[in-house]
Amino acid sequence: MTIVDHRKIELFLIHEARLLDERRFDDWMELFTEDGIYWVPARPGQESPDDESSLFYDDRRLMKTRIARLNHPDMHSQNPPSRCCHLVSNVLVEPAVGGEAEILVTSNAIMVEYRRDDQRIFAGKNTHKLAPSGATFQIASKKVELINCDAAFAGLAVPI
Amino acid sequence: MSNYLTKMIEPGRVHRDIYLDPEIFEIEMDRIFGRAWIFVGHDSQTPHAGDFITTSIGRQPVVMSRHTDGEIHVLFNRCGHRGAIVCNEAKGNARKFQCLYHGWTYNTDGTLRGVPLPEGYPEDFEVGKAGMGSLPRVDSYRGFVFACLNPDVEDLESHLGPTKACIDNLCDRAPDGEIMLTGGVHRYRFDGNWKLQLENTLDSYHVPFAHESTVDRSGKQFSRREGDAEGAQVVSGEEEETHHTWKERGAWAFDHGHGFTGNTALDEKTRSSPVYDEYKAALEARLGAQQAEEVLTPFFHNALIYPNMSFMGLNMHIRVIKPVAVDRTEVNVYPVLLKGAPHAMNQSTIRLLNVTHAAASFVQTDDLEAFARCQSGVVGDSSKWVYFNRGLGEHTEAQNWGGREGKSTQELVLRNQYDGWLEYMGGAAT
Repeated sequence: MTIVDHRKIELFLIHEARLLDERRFDDWMELFTEDGIYWVPARPGQESPDDESSLFYDDRRLMKTRIARLNHPDMHSQNPPSRCCHLVSNVLVEPAVGGEAEILVTSNAIMVEYRRDDQRIFAGKNTHKLAPSGATFQIASKKVELINCDAAFAGLAVPI
Repeated sequence: MSNYLTKMIEPGRVHRDIYLDPEIFEIEMDRIFGRAWIFVGHDSQTPHAGDFITTSIGRQPVVMSRHTDGEIHVLFNRCGHRGAIVCNEAKGNARKFQCLYHGWTYNTDGTLRGVPLPEGYPEDFEVGKAGMGSLPRVDSYRGFVFACLNPDVEDLESHLGPTKACIDNLCDRAPDGEIMLTGGVHRYRFDGNWKLQLENTLDSYHVPFAHESTVDRSGKQFSRREGDAEGAQVVSGEEEETHHTWKERGAWAFDHGHGFTGNTALDEKTRSSPVYDEYKAALEARLGAQQAEEVLTPFFHNALIYPNMSFMGLNMHIRVIKPVAVDRTEVNVYPVLLKGAPHAMNQSTIRLLNVTHAAASFVQTDDLEAFARCQSGVVGDSSKWVYFNRGLGEHTEAQNWGGREGKSTQELVLRNQYDGWLEYMGGAAT
């Protein structure tokens, strides 16, 4: 892992954050591999998305339904839409284990969401598994571990 | 009874103050949550001696625990000394409960076990009587644990009435005849009165509009159950038949505010997937093909046990409504897992609940938006009333269940909640 590679990964995460900020949800979905997973656990230390409720646990099929809805003119909980600002920091590329093609990347992330006079902050640790794809990457999985993941939430209409 | 409270409810409409007035909220906590059987939890949440969960009855913190003798206890989560919360976690296992402040300890049935320096108390102070205190009444039906602050309340099964059949149906769907609430919990909240959520559980009229963004061009919603190739027809298309099916769904209203809405029209005959077929075979092995088919063709969509719990037959979950303040409510939603079903079947239930009745789901988010807008908008002085008068007077006496029968897009089952409200709010405080 050279400095250049590390910077490339960091720029990819910044690109992903930008797509979410700009509500380019279709483009965001296209970052994921066909069997890509987006997971936001609902409990600290939650081991499985299959045996326990999660805040988000989308494969491409559910992601597609979610995003079709986000593009729908009558999604009432996004009228007015959320304005979001994602920050990605403390990016670390974990050392490769064995001959795996996927790259494990952890980062700290903050999302600030503003909607109709309310501003909320989400913070936590992101873990991306990135699959090299030509000159860039695809997301094989993204896990968002929020520090308040087991809180009672007001509606969460947009991906974190 | 305070005269002004009886004036809050009229045929087909309720006064907005029941959503806005903090004094009425206080009276509701005393008279509804202080008098009715309140759903606390399920057996499967505390399977072993020493297991406990913490929750609330109205705003009073309580602990549901399994004592060493195997009995379930529902205790006030309150130290007998200075009143501090004793059990501080959402769930856990403990040999004894200990207060953090002065170290008073309790057995898992709430009795006092010991206090530090007991010789310091005056002779006439009976330390032994200062336990955490048990709820006066605790009972369960098929593992659903309820407790009541009113010692003179009728027995639980009479209270549940015909809604017992909905609980039975849910449990009977498990090859082992029991459900499990062991698949985690969704917690969401909203800035609105608790009754907004209660009304919504049995409100079929809002679905095609509020949840418009969940349906595709053909008017069908995404699939919400294992084995369904597609979801329910939510928005009526040009086909008269679909429109008819939606409008003809029934709704049933019972004593004490309880009720349920009829099943969503889905083609049960074509429901199939490897996971579902394996589950169905397991159920048939226990019940036989005919009875299994009856159980799997559910007669209810959503059932409400007034005032704090609803459960859904379509994508199975239990919802617990917790009033926090007149304009603030928390709701906990548990996926219903079927004991004896293939692991993958229960995993599917968990997965689909993430996108239907959770904070980040496709469905619930728009309901939460509606609740918040009702709470903010109802202060407008164009009227002091909100309306529940669809199908007013058009119900019939229910043949199968007792109680009253109407259509699910009418508002009988919502008006009935306010009959329950009046029943509890009436009479002298006990």
